[in-house]
Amino acid sequence: MGPAGAFVLLAWILLASVLVAGARLVLRWRRGRAARVDWWAGLVALPRRYLVDVHGVVARDPRAARMHALTAGGLLGSSGLLLLGVVPALRAGVVYWVLVATSFAVALAGSAMVARRRRPVRPAHLSAGGFLWLPVWVFLYAAGGLAGAGAIVLTASPGLGFAAVVLAAVGGAGLVSGLLTGPIRHALAGAVHLVAHPRPGRFAGRRESALLPLDLEAARLGVAVAEDFAWNRLVGFDACIQCGRCELACPAFAAGQRLNPKKLIQDLAAASLPPGARPAYEGSPHPGAPPPPLAAGPIVGAVLHPDTLWACTTCRACVAACPMFIEHVDAVVDLRRHASLEEGALPEKAAAVLEAIRHTDEPEGNPLAARGDFAAGLELPVLGAGESTDVLLWLGAGAFDLRYGRSLRALVTLLRRAGVAFAVLGAEERDCGDLARRLGDEVEFARLARANIAALNARRFARIVTADPHALHVLRNEYPDFGGCYTVVHHSALLESLLAEGRLTPERRLAGRIVYHDPCYLARYNGETGAPRRLLDRIAPERVEMARHGLSAMCCGGGGGAPVSDVEAVRRIPDLRMAQAREVGAQTLAVACPGCTAMLEGVPEPRPPVRDLAELVLEAVGEG
Amino acid sequence: MRAVVLLSAGRHPLSARPAPVPVEMQAIALARGLGADVAGLHAGAPDLAVREALGQGMDRVTVLRIGEADDAVAALAAALAADPPDLVLAGNRGRGGEDSGLLPYLLAEALGWPIAANAVALAAAAEGLAVIQARARGARWRLVVAPPAVVTVHPAAPPALPFAYARARRGRIEEQEGRSAPLVPRVAEERPYRPRPRVIGVAGGGSAAERLRAATEVAGGGRVLVDPPPEEAARELLAWLRALGFSRSADE
Ligand code: SF4
Ligand code: SF4
Repeated sequence: MGPAGAFVLLAWILLASVLVAGARLVLRWRRGRAARVDWWAGLVALPRRYLVDVHGVVARDPRAARMHALTAGGLLGSSGLLLLGVVPALRAGVVYWVLVATSFAVALAGSAMVARRRRPVRPAHLSAGGFLWLPVWVFLYAAGGLAGAGAIVLTASPGLGFAAVVLAAVGGAGLVSGLLTGPIRHALAGAVHLVAHPRPGRFAGRRESALLPLDLEAARLGVAVAEDFAWNRLVGFDACIQCGRCELACPAFAAGQRLNPKKLIQDLAAASLPPGARPAYEGSPHPGAPPPPLAAGPIVGAVLHPDTLWACTTCRACVAACPMFIEHVDAVVDLRRHASLEEGALPEKAAAVLEAIRHTDEPEGNPLAARGDFAAGLELPVLGAGESTDVLLWLGAGAFDLRYGRSLRALVTLLRRAGVAFAVLGAEERDCGDLARRLGDEVEFARLARANIAALNARRFARIVTADPHALHVLRNEYPDFGGCYTVVHHSALLESLLAEGRLTPERRLAGRIVYHDPCYLARYNGETGAPRRLLDRIAPERVEMARHGLSAMCCGGGGGAPVSDVEAVRRIPDLRMAQAREVGAQTLAVACPGCTAMLEGVPEPRPPVRDLAELVLEAVGEG
Repeated sequence: MRAVVLLSAGRHPLSARPAPVPVEMQAIALARGLGADVAGLHAGAPDLAVREALGQGMDRVTVLRIGEADDAVAALAAALAADPPDLVLAGNRGRGGEDSGLLPYLLAEALGWPIAANAVALAAAAEGLAVIQARARGARWRLVVAPPAVVTVHPAAPPALPFAYARARRGRIEEQEGRSAPLVPRVAEERPYRPRPRVIGVAGGGSAAERLRAATEVAGGGRVLVDPPPEEAARELLAWLRALGFSRSADE
C-alpha cells in the first residue's frame, strides 16, 4: 500500500472513530426523557437549517463566519474526498489529489484563523483549555493532508508521503479524541440538534418563543437531574461551541449576578456525566458564584448555585445570539419548575408573589376590582359577559402601579380621542400569569390562563390591545395552548395606525433627542420593532438608536420575575441600560412596557426622563 | 414525639377564597423543627385551605366530617382523646371564621390538658416541652409544659415552610366521621366592645410624662421581685390585687 492508500485508510479509521464516539454520545443522550421528534422533516430541513439559519447567526460576526466556513468546509471536504478514495480509479488520478490538497489548504487557512482568534490575548468570552489545542489538531491534520496530497501529486518519494500520513493521523487523532467531551463535540451534537431540535418553529426566520406547557400529571414536575431533560435538550447542551455570544448578550452576567449563560449550558452538559468525568471548563465563570461541590445529585446544588437560576430575566438575548439555536430560557424554566412545584425552593419575595397569586389572582394581592382605579375621572367602560366591543383593553398588573397608571391614563385618553370603541374586563381580568409561569409555577399559570380564557370567551371583541408586552406575549402566544386564540395588538401598533390613519393628529413635534428602548417581550419574543419606531418618527424628529437595539436590545432587568427574585448583583441592570442611553445623548428615553418604566425610572437622577409611548403621543397630540 | 396541628378552613382576607391560616402553617414548621411526626386535624367539611396545608410540610391530614351546626371542639376532643398525641398545636386565632381564638382553650379544657399560648419557639426540655411565649412589646417568656398539652402559635414564630404543589398533591387526606354534637352557645354575655378600664396609678401627681404614661399604658407599679420564692411571690401578688380592690377573698 502506497501513501495514497494509507491516506484513504486513515480517513476510514477516523470515520469509524467518529461513529464509535457518536454511538457513545447517543447512549448518553438516551438517558434523557423521551421526546416527540419529526425525524423526517428534521432531516429534510437540515441543510437549510445549517446553511441558512445557523450561518445567518454566525455571520453577524463576519470573521467568525469566515473562520468557521474555512475550517469546517476544509475538514469536511477533505475528509469526505479521502473517504471517496476507496474507489481505486479515483485515487489513481492526479485531479483527485489536487482537489484533496486544495481542501486541506482551506482547512489549514481555517486553523490559522482559529488560532488567531485567541491571540495575542484571549477575549474573555472565549474559552481556553481544549480550545487552545483545537487549532493545533486542525493544523496538524490539514498540514499533513496538504503535504501528503502534494507529495502524491508531485510523485515525491513515498517516504515523504508516509511521514505526511503520520502527521495527519496525529492531528486526526487529536480531533477525534475531543468528540466526547472536547470542543469538536459540537459538530456531532450540533448536527443531531439541528435535526431533532425541540423547537422546529425556531427555524426559517420564524420565532417560536412561547414556553411549552408542562404535563402537570407527570410523576415528577420539571427538571431536577440531567436525566429529567428531554433527550434532545441534552443534545442541545452538547452542541454548545462556547463561542461566548450569549455571555456577551446576558444582562445578568453584565450586572455581575451569578449567571453566565455559556457556563450554564456547559454545566447542564456536564451534569449528565458522573462528577469525575466532567470536562474542565475554562471560560468565564458565573460571576461570584462559589464553586459547586463536585457531586452527583440534583443540578441545583450539585452543579448550579440557586442564584444562577433566579438571576435570569428570561430576556432571550442569549437564545437570539446563539448560533447553535440552544434554548437557555427553556432550560432555566424547566429547572425553575422543579424548584417551584416540587421543592417550593423560591426566593422569599417570589414565593410571596406566588402565594398572593394563589389566593387573590394578583401578584401583589391587590383587589381585582381596583384595577381600573388609575382611571378615576376618565370613563372606563367595563365589558359584561355577552357584550361586545371593538377593542378589549387589557390593563395588566401595571394598572395597580401609580406611576404606570399615568401611562395608561394617556392611552385611555388617546383611545377616546381617536373614537376607538373599547372596554375593559373589570374585576374579571385576572393576572395574565406571565410572572407565575416564568417563576416556574405552571399550576397557577394554567389556572389563571383558564380563568381568563373563560372570561374572554364569554365576551365578543375584535382584538385585545395591551400596553404590557408580557401580557401581550402570554395572551397571543401562550394562551392558544389552553384554548384561547385572540388577535392581540400592542398599544404601540394601535397608536401608530391611529396616527397613520389620521385619527390622531400630532399638533406639535417633540423636542430633543429621543431614544427608544425595546422591551424584550415585544422585540425578541414577538419581533415587533417597527411600529414603535414609526410611531416615534411621526412625532419626534430626533430619534437615535442605542448600539444594542431591536432584536439585540439589552433587557431592563425587569422580566422573568428577576425583580422579585432580587438576586445579589454588583451593578444594576437598568443602570447599565441607562448608561447606554446616555452614551447616545438621550434626552428622553421612550419605553413601551410597565416593567421597563419601573426599572428604568428607578435609575437615580440625573438621567433622561422615562416616558411611555402613549404619554409621548398624548403630548404631541395635545392634552386637549 | 407526635404532634397534631389543628387546621381551620381559612379564608383570604381580601379575596375570601380558601387559604390556609398563616399562623397554622407556622405551627407546622414549629412542629417539624421539633423533629416531631406531624399530622393535621380538621373538623368540618373537607376544605381547599386544608389541602394547601399539605404543600407546606404536612404529609397527612385527618378530616373529621361534621355538619355545619356541629361543635368542632367536641369532634376534635373526641378524636384527640381516642388517640392522644404528645402535642396539639393551633394558631392563636383563625382567619375568616369567628376568629375569637377561643377554640384551643375550649379544647384544652375538654381534654383536661394544659395550654400554653402564643408560642414563637418550641424545644424539648428535661421536664417536658419548653415554650417560648410572645408577650406584649417584644418580651419573651419561657414556660415548660408537660405533654400532652395544647400550644397556640403566635404570628411572630419563624416563617412557614414554603408551599410546593407537588407535596400538596402527594399528601393524603383521610376523611372520618367526626363526633357530632350540636354547638351550644358558649358566650355567657354579649355586650358592645369598650376599651378595658385602666388603673391609673398616678392620678393627678407626677410629671406630665408620668401622667401620660399612666393614662396610656397598662398599669404598672408594685415591686419588682427577681426569682422570689413562690410563697413570697404569691403574697406579693395578693397584696397587690387587694390594694387595687380586685381580690374577692380579701380576708383569707
Ligand atoms: S450557548 Fe450558544 S451562544 Fe452560548 S457559548 Fe454556547 S454556542 Fe455560543
Ligand atoms: S435569558 Fe437573558 S438573563 Fe437569562 S440567561 Fe439569557 S441573556 Fe441571560
